[in-house]
Amino acid sequence: MIRRIAVKEMTEMFRDGRFRWASALLLGLMLVALATGATNSRALAREHDAAQETMRGFWVNQGAKNPHSAAHYGLWVFKPKMPLSFVDYGVDNYTGVTTWLEAHKQNEFTRRPAMDQASVARFGEWTAAAVLQLLVPLLIVMLAFPAFAGERETGTLRQLVALGVPMRTLMMGKAIGLASALAAVLVPATILGVGTLALGANFGRGTDDVLRFAAMIGAYLLYFTVVLVIALAVSARSTGVRIALLTLLAFWTVNSLVAPRAVADLARRAYPTPSSFAFLAGVQRDTERGLDGHNPADARRKAVEEQALREYRTISLDALPVNFDAIAMQASEEYANTVFDKHFGDLYDQYRAQNTLTQWSGLVSPLLAVRSLSMGLAGTDIEQHRDFAVQAELYRRGLIKWTNNYFRDNTRTGEWDWKAPPELWARYQSFVYDAPGMSQTLRHQGAALSVLAIWLMVALGLLWSTPAPRVA
Amino acid sequence: MTTAPRLAARALTKSYGPATALDRLDLEIGAGDVYCLLGANGAGKTTTINLFLNFVAPTSGQALVCGIDVTKDPLGSKRHIAYIPETVMLYRQLTALENLDYFAGLATGEQFPRDQLVQFLVEAGLRADQADQRVGGFSKGMRQKVGIAIAIAKRADVLLLDEPTSGLDPKASNEFSELIGQIRQRGAAILMATHDLFRAKESGTRVGIMKHGALVAQMDTAEIGHADLERLYLAHMKD
Repeated sequence: MIRRIAVKEMTEMFRDGRFRWASALLLGLMLVALATGATNSRALAREHDAAQETMRGFWVNQGAKNPHSAAHYGLWVFKPKMPLSFVDYGVDNYTGVTTWLEAHKQNEFTRRPAMDQASVARFGEWTAAAVLQLLVPLLIVMLAFPAFAGERETGTLRQLVALGVPMRTLMMGKAIGLASALAAVLVPATILGVGTLALGANFGRGTDDVLRFAAMIGAYLLYFTVVLVIALAVSARSTGVRIALLTLLAFWTVNSLVAPRAVADLARRAYPTPSSFAFLAGVQRDTERGLDGHNPADARRKAVEEQALREYRTISLDALPVNFDAIAMQASEEYANTVFDKHFGDLYDQYRAQNTLTQWSGLVSPLLAVRSLSMGLAGTDIEQHRDFAVQAELYRRGLIKWTNNYFRDNTRTGEWDWKAPPELWARYQSFVYDAPGMSQTLRHQGAALSVLAIWLMVALGLLWSTPAPRVA
Repeated sequence: MTTAPRLAARALTKSYGPATALDRLDLEIGAGDVYCLLGANGAGKTTTINLFLNFVAPTSGQALVCGIDVTKDPLGSKRHIAYIPETVMLYRQLTALENLDYFAGLATGEQFPRDQLVQFLVEAGLRADQADQRVGGFSKGMRQKVGIAIAIAKRADVLLLDEPTSGLDPKASNEFSELIGQIRQRGAAILMATHDLFRAKESGTRVGIMKHGALVAQMDTAEIGHADLERLYLAHMKD
């Protein structure tokens, strides 16, 4: 019986010109999004790789130079494009993808395309993720709103009930029929996505990327199921098609337009982040006065001096067998690092709190939950950005320490004119970003997964508890 | 089961607040009977049919289909019923044959071969070449014939017809009455609500006149002439 109902729903759907046009349009938009996403991602990946190689070249070939000058010369590192970023650009355009590693400072990220755009463009990024998150639900709503309400209005529902067709059988049949019609659109889209992924040049961590892609498909399927079940439940409980359509369009609008903006504002208010200016001022203040405000820089230098004298059992800095300037620089470097850890840690913790709040807000709008999962799995969310920032910072600290130690061991205090040999720079290994595995990514998506599970259960409950239709 | 009448109402009552739509209806319809309910709009004819279909719950009393209480076993009772509303509603995107296949399949759980489905449509008065036409352009008469074909495929013991001929032209109306006669001869019990005294006399075996929710008169059509029936009906409608 269920099969018969499903087949009939599909037959009707495929014969309906509106379905054919809408799905062709959706597939076309998907194709464009995937193609531009893949082209952009590949171009950016090439650019980043080339730029990072060039920067490494500059570092290696900087010639005979004082190690501290080399540390100031520094180098740029780029966040590599993740293989799945062609599906979902995530926050890459807002956080930036590159940072300059140099002595004394943990720099902020730059190259944020969003800075060059009007705020209106925040809506307009045409990614596959936007199609999946916004347009597929719209198509589902358009297909499903008359499922029951339409049959009630024309009177066929009355005849079906008179035949003795149980309401739940009808629901199962309709759900399967509509899902199959949707599959006719989504399966080709998925195959296109798999093709694009397979053709991608930057297919680094094979199995993990495949797992991520599979998980992403799973997350979107879960999302679509939720929307479909809600649409059917609303249709089954509406007295007419107009009410069903209006209710579902209201849901779609809140889900995709209202809630995401409102929640973004709410999260910013609940967990505010400092402006760039205030942030840098805070870092500078703590570096100068000490994290607790009672440990100013000159007092710290005094302590380092005393410790060096004790260690080398001498009474004057001039008598040290090593370069005290380098020791002092490394000490202030290490103090600054604790300041950076605190300030950047606090900043990223605020972002994380904002994200958790946003994920739970998925209880109002399931889009927020699936968006979070999608970004996370694509490797373009703030957590992966933080992971990259931390690895880049650790590399910077290692590099600066290495230059300071080399300076310390090969010179005496005050020998600022001394130059290290030109072949030295190649001896420090180049920066390679080690992206986190999927399980690490999913640790930050617990709320999003719970929210989707809750939605599914609520929607199924709503559908299942729909009373037999009032037909008279 | 053989002893139970196909359709029975026992003090069947339906009230909406203070308004009584149906007042203690007692009725029995056996195999081969065509019972025509006459009466003005709001007399309780459609309410009676809706109660047998369990579309509305009775306030008191019982509606029985082949001895089954329709409120206690709604799905079981519906296995015996074919329902033809004032206008049979069909799926516009599907052909006549596909509509029949869908409804008959859901009703019986059987998959009928194509030849047999065409045969049902022909028995119901459609031409074989109309089987593969989409029903979007079908007239009301043609839709009613698809409805009859569904009833034939279901081999229903009971037909519930709610003003099935209203709005049909005389020829289509006449064809419909003939079909009802054929189905009756297969042993079905038929309950038909109608305004058409002439059709009631022609195709009915019994008629009942309803007024304000109550059955005020019943008779066998064989015992009464058409003119007498009309006189009796109007007399009841007077006050």
